[in-house]
Amino acid sequence: MSNSIWVFAEAKEGKIKKVALEMISEAKKMAEKLGGDVSAVLMGQNVEPLAEQLGHYGANKVYLADHEVLKDYTTDAYSKVLTELIKENEPSIVLYGATILGKDLSPRVAARLEAGLATDCTGVGLDDGKLTVTRPMFAGKAYTDISFSGSKTNMASVRPNALPVTPPDESKKPEIIKVDVNINPDDIRTTIQEFVKTAGERADLTEAEIIVSGGRGMKGPENFQMLEELADVLGATVGASRAAVDAGWKAVSDQVGQTGKVVSPNLYIACGISGAIQHLAGMSTSKFIVAINKDSDAPIFQKADYGIVDDLFKVIPVLTEEFKKLKADS
Amino acid sequence: MNVAVYKILGIPNFILLAIAIIVALAFFINRVKHLYFILRIGKEDDRFNDIGARIMFALKRILLQLCVLKDVTAKDLAGLGHAMIFYGFLCFAFSYLFMFGRGFIPGLSFHILGDTFAGYFPLLLDIVALMVITGVVWGLLRRYVVRPSRLESTPEAAIIMGIIASLMVFHFLMEGFEVNIDPHETASMAFIGVAFAGLFNNMGIERTTQEALFIASWWIHCLLVLGFMVLIPYSKHLHLILAPFNLFFKSMEPRGALRPILDMEEAETFGVSNIEEFTWKQLLDLYTCAECGRCEINCPAHLSEKPLSPRHLIHDMKVHLLEKGPHLLGGNNGSESGTDAQAEAAESGYDGPALIGGVVSEDKIWSCVTCGSCMEQCPVCNEHVDKIVDMRRYMVLMESNFPPEIQAVFRNMENNSNPWGIGWATRADWAKDLGIKILSEDSNVDILYWVGCAGSFDERNKKISTALVNIFKKVGVNFGILGAEEKCCGDSARRIGNEYLYQMLATETIEILKGYNVKKIVTQCPHCYNTLKNEYPQFGGDFEVVHSTEFILDLIEKGKLKLSKPIDKTITYHDSCYLGRYNTVYDAPRKILQAIPGVNLVEMERNRAKSICCGAGGGRMWMEEHLGKRINEMRLQDALDINPNLISTACPYCLTMFEDAIKEKDVQETLTGKDIIELTEEAMA
Amino acid sequence: MNSVVCVKQVPDTESVIKIKPDGSGIITDDLKFVMNPYDEYGVEEALKLKEKFGGSATILCMGPSRVVETIRTGLAMGVDKAVQLDDPAFEGGDAFATAKALAEALKGLEYDVIFCGKQAVDDDLSQVGQILAELLGLPHVSLIQKLQVADDKKSAVVDRQVEGGIEVLKVLLPAVLTTQKGLNEPRYASLPGIMKAKKKPLDVKDLAALGLNADSVGCNGSKTMITKYTAPPERAAGKIIEGEGPQETAPKLVQLLREEAKVI
Repeated sequence: MSNSIWVFAEAKEGKIKKVALEMISEAKKMAEKLGGDVSAVLMGQNVEPLAEQLGHYGANKVYLADHEVLKDYTTDAYSKVLTELIKENEPSIVLYGATILGKDLSPRVAARLEAGLATDCTGVGLDDGKLTVTRPMFAGKAYTDISFSGSKTNMASVRPNALPVTPPDESKKPEIIKVDVNINPDDIRTTIQEFVKTAGERADLTEAEIIVSGGRGMKGPENFQMLEELADVLGATVGASRAAVDAGWKAVSDQVGQTGKVVSPNLYIACGISGAIQHLAGMSTSKFIVAINKDSDAPIFQKADYGIVDDLFKVIPVLTEEFKKLKADS
Repeated sequence: MNVAVYKILGIPNFILLAIAIIVALAFFINRVKHLYFILRIGKEDDRFNDIGARIMFALKRILLQLCVLKDVTAKDLAGLGHAMIFYGFLCFAFSYLFMFGRGFIPGLSFHILGDTFAGYFPLLLDIVALMVITGVVWGLLRRYVVRPSRLESTPEAAIIMGIIASLMVFHFLMEGFEVNIDPHETASMAFIGVAFAGLFNNMGIERTTQEALFIASWWIHCLLVLGFMVLIPYSKHLHLILAPFNLFFKSMEPRGALRPILDMEEAETFGVSNIEEFTWKQLLDLYTCAECGRCEINCPAHLSEKPLSPRHLIHDMKVHLLEKGPHLLGGNNGSESGTDAQAEAAESGYDGPALIGGVVSEDKIWSCVTCGSCMEQCPVCNEHVDKIVDMRRYMVLMESNFPPEIQAVFRNMENNSNPWGIGWATRADWAKDLGIKILSEDSNVDILYWVGCAGSFDERNKKISTALVNIFKKVGVNFGILGAEEKCCGDSARRIGNEYLYQMLATETIEILKGYNVKKIVTQCPHCYNTLKNEYPQFGGDFEVVHSTEFILDLIEKGKLKLSKPIDKTITYHDSCYLGRYNTVYDAPRKILQAIPGVNLVEMERNRAKSICCGAGGGRMWMEEHLGKRINEMRLQDALDINPNLISTACPYCLTMFEDAIKEKDVQETLTGKDIIELTEEAMA
Repeated sequence: MNSVVCVKQVPDTESVIKIKPDGSGIITDDLKFVMNPYDEYGVEEALKLKEKFGGSATILCMGPSRVVETIRTGLAMGVDKAVQLDDPAFEGGDAFATAKALAEALKGLEYDVIFCGKQAVDDDLSQVGQILAELLGLPHVSLIQKLQVADDKKSAVVDRQVEGGIEVLKVLLPAVLTTQKGLNEPRYASLPGIMKAKKKPLDVKDLAALGLNADSVGCNGSKTMITKYTAPPERAAGKIIEGEGPQETAPKLVQLLREEAKVI
């Protein structure tokens, strides 16, 4: 067993995911306390050029598994490679991003190694040299501190944006350890037949992370273009209140509310929606709610985390520009 | 003239008449028997309680013609016409005893009832006959020229009208001939008869010819009457016979109470999907319908161009019953119960349309707002809403077949006891800072204030709850609320057809209320009011339930509450169906408004019993309105027509629907919606 | 075609979660328990498979006697039978310990597909399905939104939600599939269904019946432990962003969303 902290560095379309850099930044701090080092595990095909960047953020070593069979993620291939690596090196901590991939892979690996795993953590730390984490339960209505026992390696998946990224030090180069990949194609019990890209297209309302929604205050169908533009910038989906749908400005399938779709995105931006209870019943579980409405008495402000009392036709174009700037910066 | 022994082809009239009567009766009885046996396919329903009250009710409605006179308006005088025909018919029915009697008893005449009667009665008959002819001409004009929407121009109507007119014509002819051949038999006061007599004489018709013509008129007259009698059970004029029965068997339960399914744990099917699963009384409704269309012209679904028309609903089911009934009866004359009858129908090869989806489309079933206007307006007291709810019960309980948006409502009621699915534990959050007693903490209260889901969770209606609390406090009412223990009353669930969910909610609530020994309940919402007051007794929940408007009016009348701050506005009041039609609380809200200084109360054209639903009743609050026009906007137009500054309501659903319509029509600058409670609070000293 | 649906009973998502003063757990007295919403998709899908291919649908549920109500909900929807794992020893288990007991119970059941919800909405772990697959030596596909089983029932094609699109996968059966919103619309149980559910077989198994050791399940068999529950930071009352017109308010909003809410 080593005091090594491992980070599974997920790469997508030739880019390391930001959450991996966040975890490496945090792991570096932890490793200092622990007196160990930080290793990243990088898998895929032709991902070698990405390895160096991991060092900039604090990875001392990068285990690089570069192979054709790892080009697209499959549970069986990735879990086999990762499990063998962990068995061989016995790191004390393995962190994954709490992404779709990370949440698919980590339980599989943890089970094979009989290791403890905490999902979707918002904080990681050390207690007496052992991993402890904080994670939400009940959709964030409670937080729990978790400790681990009974396994050599403890694991956690960490929620994106939960940990700060430290500035990269481009002088740091990681030691790159190439991993032999021995996978018999028959071991992979799933085959990807097709990938249907929805990027560019909008996610379905019920699955959208961000929803920009318009109501009666939009005044007419033509004005929804303004919301479309805002949504484009945010990668959001456009929804509508019953009033807007009834007026024929948007399709019934776009309706959010009691009799429409029940949604719970991370961010819900309600524009010109007064917030009748039938609408609230369909979106009040959204993590953050923004309301833009010129009527300060509108019930939507009771539910909103942030509100702007103003003419939406003036606010939205400015807001869209601001988001554009932000996106351009990051 | 001795009619009885007058011979035709050597056979005396009395024999011929006897044969005619027997033949007619045979047809008549055969048909009635057929109808009766089909009726008996229906399920049991005890409608024999309280016989005295039933008789009184039926007599009053019929003899005083309240059934049709109650809704005579300047625009629709048809009720007057019906009353004229009805009384005319009574007079003639009496005279027909004599007409037929003469065929058997020589010398029978009105004189046996005294000379005075014999003198005046023919005068009366002539007057009535003129009235009837006028009525018929009017009726024909309406049906075939004016064509109001509620009446259909069927050949049947023309035939019946024709027969009635002919009866009158032959009455005059008979009278005319008789004046000439038997002057002492007929009083000269029968002025039309006398006129005809003069005409015949002037035409130079021989006496013997006149005698023959008299006999001919008498015969045709008798045959027309017999024919009419036979026609009755084959036509919508069946109501002539059945209306008294239908009125007699009318439900004596509160109108707002739907019939419960009592054996939920044992039953194998729920609700109605086959015509024979209705009760015999529900089938009697179908027979009795006179297709007058009063239901239709007052039906919000029909008026807003949805597929439902209560008249067609009833008529289509009647046609279906008469088609399917004989198959159900098979060879024997129908003594079996529902399910046997069903099997029988399958065996006997009935392959007509199914009741749900065939005879009555699903869209029709879901279009109903259960506003009860059809039942209110129906002259023969047909009970439409329970039929629709019975079909909904089948669809919901047996097939889980309902508009998709309803599933969430059911789930929400099951898990969080409110239709929006907001966490049940937060129900009393609106009252957190108001210092209100919660019964679980202190049950020593005089009044339980039943807030309802809207009053507890909806931002807009929370303001009304708060206003009512302020009124209570001002007057010093010792009241409390159930807090998080309050649940949805179940009104929507029940009216959508989910009797199981309703009973779950109702029985749980009744237990809680009994546990706190609650005696008197004030509700904010008319739906809660109706359910608690009229439906909870079915499950052992007997509480005194008053609506907030009744409670407030009582405070005003007792001098405990003074409304002295003026509200200088022109206000109209919209009657909630479940407060008005279902519970006849029409006056309390109006009296409160009148007690507020400065209020100018104006009425919409359709008000009180003829008020039109806001569109949210019967669970429609929770369904999308995909068909036709929007009911709430249609009703808003009623208000806009009279230009008020404010629409007052006493129901959270109505208020929501109006406020939506006001925004939709973009008239919020000139018109606002408020609850009577809010206006009361504003006007409080 | 036989399916087993692993079902968990969870507090309704609208529940107010109250934490014990000492932070040792949550107060469960006032909670309304329901079937985990993601598991309902599994139940519905199992019923669809049954309707198409015949065979049976079975619910497997761990928990004390209160979970029977949830099991009955599934039976009312049309599931044929259920196995309940009820033993004090199972209590307090993490995903690994829970999956271990479930895996043991599954060894006694016939299945071509095992459905698990993509996560339980109480602990939000998203682990049991994957671990179960591993313990049973089966493949798994998580987050499925569409399922087409081949006519020979030896494989299935599934749509799986991933970032930026839909992945269409072929998976060999038997397999564990974790279900995501969008897979289907779970049915509303009919009343005859509810009545029939009361008479359907429910097999209750305890630790001994599974032949497991108390050390391998529940708290003792867990690799992770909750040491403390805390309430989330009080969500500040809604902020109305003040400022002179959009030129001031819009940037402020963007900044708040970025730095305070961290949703952008």
